[in-house]
Amino acid sequence: MKRRHFVKTAAVSGVAAVFPGMAGLAAETVASSAAVSVEQLPPLSGELTLYLGRGEGGLYENVLQAIENRNPDLNLSIRRGPTAALANAIVAEAEAGIRRADLFWAVDSGAIGLVADAGLVQTLPNDLTAQLQPTFRYSHWAPITGRIRTLPFNTAELTPGRVPDAIMEVPDSGLRVGWAPAYAAFQSFVTAMRLLEGRQATADWLQRTGSNARDYAGELGVVMAVERGEVDIGFANHYYTLRLKAGNPDAKVALSFTRNDAGCLVNASGIMALGNGELAVNFIRYLLTREVQNYLSTEAYEIPLVDGLALPSGLPDLKTVAPPDIDLTRLADLRPTLDLMRDVGVL
Amino acid sequence: MTRGRQVFRFPLAYPLALGIALVAVLPVMVLIILAVDPATSLDSLNADLIINTLLLMVITVIGALGIGVPLALLTAYVQLPLGRLWLIMLAAPLAMPSYIGAFTLYAAFGSGGEIENITGIVTPSASGLFGAAVVMILYTYPFVLLTTRASLLSLDASLIHAARTLGLPLLQCLWRVALPRAITGMAAGGLLVALYTLSDFGTPAIMGLDTFTRVIYVEYNAFGLSQAAFLSLQLLTIVGLLLFLDSRITATPERPGRSLMLWPSPGQILCLILTVLPVIGLTLLLPLAIFTLWLLREGTGGFDVRYAWNSTYASLLAAFAAVLAALPVAHVASRGAFGRLLERVTYFGFGVPGIVMGTALVYVGLQLPALYQTLGLLVLAYVMRFLPLAVGSVRSTAEKLDSSLVKAAWVLGAGPGEVFRRITLPLSMRGIVAGAALVFLEGMRELPATLLLAPTGFETLSTYLWRVYEAGYFGRAAIPGLLLVLMSGLGLALMFSGEGRAEFATVVQKTDTKLAKK
Repeated sequence: MKRRHFVKTAAVSGVAAVFPGMAGLAAETVASSAAVSVEQLPPLSGELTLYLGRGEGGLYENVLQAIENRNPDLNLSIRRGPTAALANAIVAEAEAGIRRADLFWAVDSGAIGLVADAGLVQTLPNDLTAQLQPTFRYSHWAPITGRIRTLPFNTAELTPGRVPDAIMEVPDSGLRVGWAPAYAAFQSFVTAMRLLEGRQATADWLQRTGSNARDYAGELGVVMAVERGEVDIGFANHYYTLRLKAGNPDAKVALSFTRNDAGCLVNASGIMALGNGELAVNFIRYLLTREVQNYLSTEAYEIPLVDGLALPSGLPDLKTVAPPDIDLTRLADLRPTLDLMRDVGVL
Repeated sequence: MTRGRQVFRFPLAYPLALGIALVAVLPVMVLIILAVDPATSLDSLNADLIINTLLLMVITVIGALGIGVPLALLTAYVQLPLGRLWLIMLAAPLAMPSYIGAFTLYAAFGSGGEIENITGIVTPSASGLFGAAVVMILYTYPFVLLTTRASLLSLDASLIHAARTLGLPLLQCLWRVALPRAITGMAAGGLLVALYTLSDFGTPAIMGLDTFTRVIYVEYNAFGLSQAAFLSLQLLTIVGLLLFLDSRITATPERPGRSLMLWPSPGQILCLILTVLPVIGLTLLLPLAIFTLWLLREGTGGFDVRYAWNSTYASLLAAFAAVLAALPVAHVASRGAFGRLLERVTYFGFGVPGIVMGTALVYVGLQLPALYQTLGLLVLAYVMRFLPLAVGSVRSTAEKLDSSLVKAAWVLGAGPGEVFRRITLPLSMRGIVAGAALVFLEGMRELPATLLLAPTGFETLSTYLWRVYEAGYFGRAAIPGLLLVLMSGLGLALMFSGEGRAEFATVVQKTDTKLAKK
């Protein structure tokens, strides 16, 4: 039932909304933003092959379509697939001395780590990375949008004050918890906790939280379970809750954030250039324009990572949340996390 | 003519079959190479996973036999109005990706499900072992249906007529005289069901059942390709055991003859159709209805009918190539232990979870850089993945062939080529058509190899369905879902029209005319 609302909001906006007329833009854009407009960019022409790890909400498709419409001389071929499968294919291609992908757009930083470690990536020019917020500047890949870890809670059962504001206090709160241990975003969060709090503290946390937790297959499922009241709080990326509430404003779920710990980690999807030099880099510039960033923010509730753009509505100022400062490429080190989760029996 | 005789000389089948079996086992070899030095050990795996996996497999096989065998009897022997349309509708669920079936069943049933939203009737929810088994049964029984039907149709009806003359009632005749002779067909179908169930990930995940494949997917998605490969190879120990058990089931050769035909009364026809309808309703109508419901709510967009054509011709090419490759393998399999071993080896790839197999196929495909990400390689990948489907059904009908007809042809002066063309081939045609149909249907729903190996930008119905499903645009699945059923139906109609040539009477007649001309 709620799923229907969720889907409806995702489907409303079309390709045309990505690059609206300049008049419409001026009102939305923050005057002080350093973000480049699509009008300032050179037209793209030539052949490009993009490997696209599946997109959140299908809205990436609209962005790509709009870029193609704007650049009639650009011949963009897209291969879609699960992020891990495409990353493995890129590595296998490189081992065989073949390069098919000019660009790889991945939904999580682990895939980026895998391909970057194989030494297949072009360095991005400084003026491009300088457009991003200072903590999201990497030489080999460009984060496009971010997502923050949250504790969605059931508003009928709890008041905001009852939700712990420190992730390590969750097991002592006595609340019923919903989580998705097999889900990549959750595993990245546990990796962050392992890096910040240490292995032993993380193991204890997993074990104690797990004794009062219910498993779900994915984090949309977690948020829906919180809303139905199956559990009191959950662990999920922020946008599931915002999209659910956009479709159904009466939904009995709201967002809560921990402060400056793994529980409010900001992770990112990102793109890297594997070949075709300047054209691939210029394509990335299109994704960092204020038009695309604002579109993904307003339609998909993703966090723009270009400096000076507004957050999606429904998120508090990130300065008050103070997400931990962590190098996202370190989150690619999933192996110890999986071992840990298995050792304590939550995976 | 003389050249043809040379080509079909029997000893040639061995090197040919050896070559084909080696190609088919290449992806599994790649897995062995990828799996070296795994960091994961199995001691941390809990026993529940293994138990769930085996339980799901056993229940699914039993259920698929329970539905598939009666439907095979029905579609093989009973002359229904609209004839093959029933067969096509009953086989088509094999083209529907089972995760789509699982998702729509999950969405339709239970409290808050679509059935309750519309009718107000509360239905039990589909989840857990029960839900997963129901879905797996509904989307795998056509394996059993097609292989068993092919076996049943190649049986001579005279034994059944004799039993009936001696006073055995019809149902008992079918149970005691027909089915035991079709045991290889049932076993071949059951084996495919078991392997499919072992390697499927989507259905148990949606139903919330923890199985071995989930562990493999977690490893794969955590960029542990070698761990995923290692675990997949462990899964293959179960596959090996199944292959061994299946090889213990053998058939006695029989003389070919006219197959049984039953002409039911209008009342019986109505009863039969009423029992069949729930199967079609659950496998085809329910998913299409749910998608249509969402289509009406959300609208659609972005679909291109070329996707339907892409799916269909890639799958048709694969079906054709797979039966060609299956012929020598099935032939040597019915000639001795070595041939049997070659045949068994081709099955392993079918027990490997799709995404791991897809990556292994990327490594194989990269050995042919000129073909990498072309349609030719995609078809080759389908053949490597689905060869056992063709081999199984060709073998189960071919090994029942009595050699006396072949010997008679030799005595009459026919060379090996002519014997193959005029005796062996027509009499195995049932199995060939069934095998082609299975490969075609599996090709229509294949996902991981298509995503990774198709030419860039080559979208098929199944890749499009995956895309809209992942994105949550469920309404957009309605039209491709319907087209998937339609195109599969057309493909099947084309293939089953080839079955007509296998009628025993036609073979005899043609032979008579040719001999007369000589």
